[in-house]
Amino acid sequence: MAPVVDRLKNEYQGVVEFRLINVETDAEGAQLASDFGVQFVPSFVLLGSDGAQRDLLVGEMTEEQLRAAIDALE
Amino acid sequence: MKRAQMLALAAGAVVVIVAVVALSSGAPAPGLIDNGELSRLQKQGARIIDVRTAAEFTGAHIEGAENVPVSDLAAAADGWDRTAPVVVYCAVGDRSGSAAGVLQSMGFERVYDLDGGIAQWDGALAGGAAPAADAGTGPQVALSGLPILYEFYTDW
Repeated sequence: MAPVVDRLKNEYQGVVEFRLINVETDAEGAQLASDFGVQFVPSFVLLGSDGAQRDLLVGEMTEEQLRAAIDALE
Repeated sequence: MKRAQMLALAAGAVVVIVAVVALSSGAPAPGLIDNGELSRLQKQGARIIDVRTAAEFTGAHIEGAENVPVSDLAAAADGWDRTAPVVVYCAVGDRSGSAAGVLQSMGFERVYDLDGGIAQWDGALAGGAAPAADAGTGPQVALSGLPILYEFYTDW
């Protein structure tokens, strides 16, 4: 998954903020995942610039799937 | 009949009897199992181990499962009965494959791995924060003026 996310992170720099959280090593991040209702990893939570949750994607995503979800934010 | 033939016949009979007993017990062969086989093992009192993180377990887990993250499994399983059936599962089946390997290397005789993980489980779940899929809801996070993408992952 990392290469896809890294590629998109670079591509959307300054447009979308990427926050990558390892739920095994980041206790606060794990709590946030739980607060978002994340039950499986990997999961992707997309928020608008107002902080409102727009989407929750569960499981491995293709670059096209992630890109479509990100583009829907803008 | 020669002695060797009689011995061969006796050995064959033992194999048949063992096979019949195994089949009649309803226990699947160790390895990957499906939902139906997990349900049967649950009823037989098998130990069900969720090897995901504590946060994932809290979100939802298979009813009756214990949470032992795969990184803690070897230490936790050291005192378990190695002849009793143990079922492992994770989100989609990656980490549970590693967990099954750990248990087998420790000498566990009946290790089962739920194929596809909890993502395809259709039985009862416990725990259960509702998925936060509705737009406009969710916890407060620090804003930067940009849309945000969170990826929650593990190294497993």
